[in-house]
Amino acid sequence: MNTVSLDTARPAVAAGKAPVLSVEHLCKTYPVGGGLFKAPRPLRAVDDVCLTVQRGETLGIVGESGSGKTTLSWMMLGLLRPSSGEMAVEGRPIASFDRLEIARKIQPIFQDPYSSLNPRQTIGEIVGAPLAVHRVGDAAQRARLVREIMDKVGLPARFAHAYPSQMSGGQRQRVAIARALVLKPEIVVCDEPTSALDVSVQAQILNLLKDLRQELGLTYVFVSHDLGVVEYISDRVAVMYMGRVVETGKASRLMSAPRHPYTQALMGSILTPDPALGLPELHLGRGFPDPLNAPSGCHFHPRCPEAADICRTTAPSQRHDEQGMVECHLRGGAPAQVISWKTGT
Amino acid sequence: MSAHSQPLLQVDGLSVEMDVAAGQLRAVSDVSFEVGSGRTFCLVGESGCGKTMTSLALMQLLPRKARLSARRILFEGRDLARMPPREVARLRGDRMGMIFQDPMTALNPVYTIGDQLAEVYVRHRRASRKQARERAVELLERVGIMSAGQRLAQYPHQLSGGLRQRVMIAMTLMCEPSLVIADEPTTALDVTVQVQILQLLKKLQAEMGMAIILITHNLGVVARMADDVAVMYGGRIVESGSPAQVFGRASHPYTRGLMACMPTRGEAGPGQRLGSIPGTVPSLVGELQGCAFRNRCAHAGDDCGHGVIAMRDAGGGHHYRCVLAAGAESGRHAVQEALQ
Repeated sequence: MNTVSLDTARPAVAAGKAPVLSVEHLCKTYPVGGGLFKAPRPLRAVDDVCLTVQRGETLGIVGESGSGKTTLSWMMLGLLRPSSGEMAVEGRPIASFDRLEIARKIQPIFQDPYSSLNPRQTIGEIVGAPLAVHRVGDAAQRARLVREIMDKVGLPARFAHAYPSQMSGGQRQRVAIARALVLKPEIVVCDEPTSALDVSVQAQILNLLKDLRQELGLTYVFVSHDLGVVEYISDRVAVMYMGRVVETGKASRLMSAPRHPYTQALMGSILTPDPALGLPELHLGRGFPDPLNAPSGCHFHPRCPEAADICRTTAPSQRHDEQGMVECHLRGGAPAQVISWKTGT
Repeated sequence: MSAHSQPLLQVDGLSVEMDVAAGQLRAVSDVSFEVGSGRTFCLVGESGCGKTMTSLALMQLLPRKARLSARRILFEGRDLARMPPREVARLRGDRMGMIFQDPMTALNPVYTIGDQLAEVYVRHRRASRKQARERAVELLERVGIMSAGQRLAQYPHQLSGGLRQRVMIAMTLMCEPSLVIADEPTTALDVTVQVQILQLLKKLQAEMGMAIILITHNLGVVARMADDVAVMYGGRIVESGSPAQVFGRASHPYTRGLMACMPTRGEAGPGQRLGSIPGTVPSLVGELQGCAFRNRCAHAGDDCGHGVIAMRDAGGGHHYRCVLAAGAESGRHAVQEALQ
């Protein structure tokens, strides 16, 4: 296996192809609080994140609320300016792109199809808006492109004159997907695209996203807190905790043999519909630590069932091997411990 | 539940109708179920299936334009359906409590945690403020909140989501109700916190013996929590039984479809596709003939379009509302294979 292409920190130059998206030492810090005589305190929403995404691959980003996954995805979309660090699309620094250029490369799909669509525009106008902004073709050509993409995402042509209020949640999310794809972007950043949907509709949308990736050669960055969904759609997964990426690896490996104690707890908290199994015991400390007063050493140590003295004092460094990356004093180096999470079959 | 003792709650023929611009909407149609003391009963279904309306009807907290009708709703031997609203209000918060999905909107932002907890106790038990405060500290400690005394002076916005839900649970349990209705209590929480809150509910149930009606769309939560399950679709219960029956031998095509929609662990691959249910939930406005699921059902035939489909008995307390017994059999194997 080529270690470099699986790796996160080092750019994949040796692999002979540049990753379609690379993020190096990316940080986003917000000043919080403060007053007339009080300096604001920094909140590290994203802390030294290094990731690469290869063309055609889906990178899943998981973590709990407040872990920084949405902030990271907004920086990837160019909606937020990083405090420090580098981002490159197809090897070119993102700062050298202008707004329209970057929008042609990277497009978003957001969580809530109720608030992400303008209620006063018809579906045709919504889907065609990126074409108008980018001055693609004339009106007739634009109408044809809109029809084509609506057909691809499974929206009947008659919906072009409908308004979002006349559509169901699943149909609205199809509209959002059509709008994201109409400019033929390289990368689609999906931020919890199915969280607002019912289970049966979620399955339709996930299947659609998978088909479109194949058909259009898309690259996805898929942000979600639902690990079942992430496993289904992702090739590789990055786990975030308090702004840091604490583990990366192939989705199948991460699910079957998680290494970081936090990843293990996350995997353990997946509730499969198996009545023979009770509630899992996570052995996690309670509560999410205050991000303004991040714990010393490893940020996870107050909740970690295995925390040792070194975890309380010293921040762990990242260790890379052929299985991915893990940031933990107690893991890495040695081959991954294989922990079987019983799926109950 | 044993045959001779009466269940804590007996719902018989509950319907909820609402007038909307397009006509009359039947949110809940002829729903009947029983909940035994100390048991966990799960109502599961997707949005718009009537599960929340059912729970609000039990508490008589329905929106003003909704009309409730029922043959009877027996709770602790008294018929809620025939009880004047003031009497039901006296039971709410005392004998039955409710935990809502979003503790941020269910808690009052301008009152401290202590004030909100004490209010319930003062009102129903005529306790003094001091007694109520002591009771509040006791409950906060029981739901696992550290330094409970100091928390009393805090406001909801100063707590994390998981802590807020613990406060909500403590508030519900102040008067030791015999029935707690929890409407999507963990949907707004992170997965690890969800497991912790569910564990807490189970622990408190073992200690205090209350029955729980758990309303959720999450099949995983149902499977791990329920003693009894009812699957709702289009305002009706379409399948009911024990979790082993409903999940292991799913007989209604909708239940089977839901199961197939769940991503299965360890089976994701480039070619792997999820099962999905085509189409969307039907409108419940106007008179609905036949099976509400037939437009999305692969097995639907002529028999599915007439009258009200009756519940069939699959034995051992397992019931389902489908005329296609044979179709159910063949589909059942497919689902079981998918689950292996």
